[in-house]
Amino acid sequence: MRIDNILKVLLLFVTISTADVSRASTLETEAQGEWQRALEAYSAKEYAVACEAFERVAELGYASEELYYNLANAYFKLGVGGEKPFNSGELGRAILNYRRALRLDPTMEDAQYNLDLAVDYTNDAEPLPRGVLSTMWSSLSGMMTSNGWAILSVILFALTLLLVLVYLLSQRIYLRKVAFFIAILSLVLFLFATIFSLSERSLFENSTMAVVICGDVASVHASPDNSSKVIRQPSQGVTVDVLREHGEWSEIEFVDGEKGWIMTTTIERI
Amino acid sequence: MIRLRHLLLLLVAMTLSVAAWAQVTFTVEAPLLVSLNERVQVQFSVNKEPESDRTFQAPSFEGFNIIAGPAISTGMNVQWINGHQTSSYNRTYTYILKPQSAGKHTIAPASIVVDGKKYTTKSLAIEVIDESVARGQQQSASSNNNNPKQSSGRGASNSAAESNSISSDDIFIVLRTSKSEVYKGEALTATLMLYTRVGYPDIRGVDLPIFNDFWTQEIPSQSERSRAEYNGRVYDTYRLANYIVAPQRTGDLSITPAELDVLIRVVTHDNSPRSAFHSSRHESLVSRKLRSAPITIKVKEFPEGAPTSFSGAVGEFSMACTAPDETMTANSSNELTLTITGSGNLKFITAPRLHLPDSFEVYDTKITDNLRTSTSGASGSITYSYPFVARAAGQYVIEPLVFSYFDLETKQYKSLSTERFTVTVTSDGSVSASDDAGATYREYGGRMKQLDRDIRFIHTDKLQSHPFSLFIFSPIYWLILVLLLSLYIVVYVVMRKRIRENRNIVARRMRQADKVAIQRLRMAQRSMEQDEHHAFYGEMLRALWGYISDKFNIPVSNLTKETIREELYRRGVSASDAELFCQIISRCDEAQYAPSVEGDMREVYADAVSVISKIESVVKR
Repeated sequence: MRIDNILKVLLLFVTISTADVSRASTLETEAQGEWQRALEAYSAKEYAVACEAFERVAELGYASEELYYNLANAYFKLGVGGEKPFNSGELGRAILNYRRALRLDPTMEDAQYNLDLAVDYTNDAEPLPRGVLSTMWSSLSGMMTSNGWAILSVILFALTLLLVLVYLLSQRIYLRKVAFFIAILSLVLFLFATIFSLSERSLFENSTMAVVICGDVASVHASPDNSSKVIRQPSQGVTVDVLREHGEWSEIEFVDGEKGWIMTTTIERI
Repeated sequence: MIRLRHLLLLLVAMTLSVAAWAQVTFTVEAPLLVSLNERVQVQFSVNKEPESDRTFQAPSFEGFNIIAGPAISTGMNVQWINGHQTSSYNRTYTYILKPQSAGKHTIAPASIVVDGKKYTTKSLAIEVIDESVARGQQQSASSNNNNPKQSSGRGASNSAAESNSISSDDIFIVLRTSKSEVYKGEALTATLMLYTRVGYPDIRGVDLPIFNDFWTQEIPSQSERSRAEYNGRVYDTYRLANYIVAPQRTGDLSITPAELDVLIRVVTHDNSPRSAFHSSRHESLVSRKLRSAPITIKVKEFPEGAPTSFSGAVGEFSMACTAPDETMTANSSNELTLTITGSGNLKFITAPRLHLPDSFEVYDTKITDNLRTSTSGASGSITYSYPFVARAAGQYVIEPLVFSYFDLETKQYKSLSTERFTVTVTSDGSVSASDDAGATYREYGGRMKQLDRDIRFIHTDKLQSHPFSLFIFSPIYWLILVLLLSLYIVVYVVMRKRIRENRNIVARRMRQADKVAIQRLRMAQRSMEQDEHHAFYGEMLRALWGYISDKFNIPVSNLTKETIREELYRRGVSASDAELFCQIISRCDEAQYAPSVEGDMREVYADAVSVISKIESVVKR
């Protein structure tokens, strides 16, 4: 992800210029210390310590896909190693953090792999089949992050302008023709990159997804009260779409399209 | 010395018994517990005819007055069974005694001589209780915990006069438990006893106690009669039922009381003067409902710190394990057997979990038990056999089986563990076996899933110290676009003149096509004057081809005589002129390397000029 790195340098420049530098540096030292501690604990298979240290880094405001990925791994290892696997919601937390990592970077292959593996332990339903175009669109759009697409769109914009100049300035007819067609292509690609970037942004910003976090199974009711019929019992780690909230309850939709009400405390937004 | 004498006695007795096929026994029989105003029957019996009744020496009966006795009776019983004769003989000496005072009195040994040998009975301690004293105390003292109270006894009787002679203290039932505070799963015994002073009643209906939330097993036992003291009174007791129970949940568990409908035979002596001559005994039946007192058992929760392998086993156990073969062939079945022996709630323990490597297929555990239940609780052994099949060759370590229980003696958890086994699985030669080993599928959450994969390792790069923000449509994004656009505008403005000219370059080239042709023709004319016919034709060809190329904006490389002819025709040039143009090109091509002809050069030149001027006049810009 070279594009991302360029962007990161750019963003870093802007953040540092605006942020309180001295406060940032003490936070930085603490976060780096915790990060190192967590990495060592994970390598030493002390997953509980690793979880705690990674969580601390996250508390300090370091939201990066690597952090969420590592945190998720630590939770997964902590849960799977127990005598009764995942009895205190570790699987749910692992899946939540894999999803958070993928939200920041949908192209993170390791996170996707581990998420698929973790989902095998849940009773998550098979998602509804989608149309070919919709699948193609989302897989194309998911090739890069919103920022990746945005940078590509900037580059394509610059390329379009450059090619227009080549077209205008070149005296060789062949070059003019080539420049003209590539400029049009580049303009179209620029538009697509911008749209992809926006669509990824909307996925990121308006994420209504949540993950069930509970000891064993949560109960999904037909209506927002405890006495109503339990229509489904998702295990921890099942990903749902939150449609709306009503008091202590949230209306959720499963990937297979079933809807129900669940206590808001048993789910956590991605 | 005494011990030696006993030994000798035993030896003699044994030799005698061998000689006379029957051992001589001389015993004493008497109730061990009596009340002060009761008569005590003491019976000495011998099972072989004594030499003489005179050899019988009665003890002194200290503390008792002899009312009657000795009464001597003899019994003989001869039996033939399948031609085999057995006979028994019995001679008893009976005394009726009356205690002199309350307390413990000992009946000293009696002796008798049989076959020239002297036999003695054991001494017998009889406890005498003064009931009148006890009753006075009882009235003042409140009834104690286990005191049975009959709730409906009196009301059930319809004849007050008759029932008056039987009080609720005369007959009642008691349910006794061996413990009142136990751990969940800990066994205790419960005994239903009948206490009576009015003889064994006629039992009409029985409602046995109901042990809710208990595992219950009745232990069959004879309803033997014995005597017991209760609240200072002497009763005949009968054991009605005997249970071994184990609570299945914690808390205060109450046992539903037992109820007994009995008919009691009451003998009344008619003492009225009217019947003085035939002092009559009236016998009547009194019906009673007896009910035991309710009992609550406190069941305690196990203390904290139970090991993970603990599943509620309580008692004392030991464990033995037969290991599977050290080497086995893949796909052959094998078995690991675990035997848990001991006493406690064996019936309720769950089989310890066997953890086998993923390439092992484990089948259902077979359980065989060999349990005995007695008044001391359940004991015996349970055998678990774990059948399995190793699917892939290799060397494997089987983790130890761990069984934990709660030891009631020490009130602590104890864990038993087998050793760690190492097994070597040799390949059975089939290829599929090793293929299967690569992917093991397990059922989890109702779906078959491949579970022997593991997650990928964490990312150990340095922590990135930037907060995440979105770039698209951010101010920087717009800034970059505006910068690029203004850069473009700057370049455009700077180069605008060139751009404008560049736009007209094609038109200009067309306009200048004739001029270029004229220039080239002029150079050809110069060559003609110098009589350099090779250079002349070369220049002529360049002029002709270049003219068409410039005029119609077609690259020279794309031109042939055919395309020229077509292009000219398309642009409105007459066919003859187009033909002429092509002919001139052909002539130039031919003439370029041919010997020079003076007139030809001029003719070609003139034709070319006229054709070009003709085309020029026809083809408008």
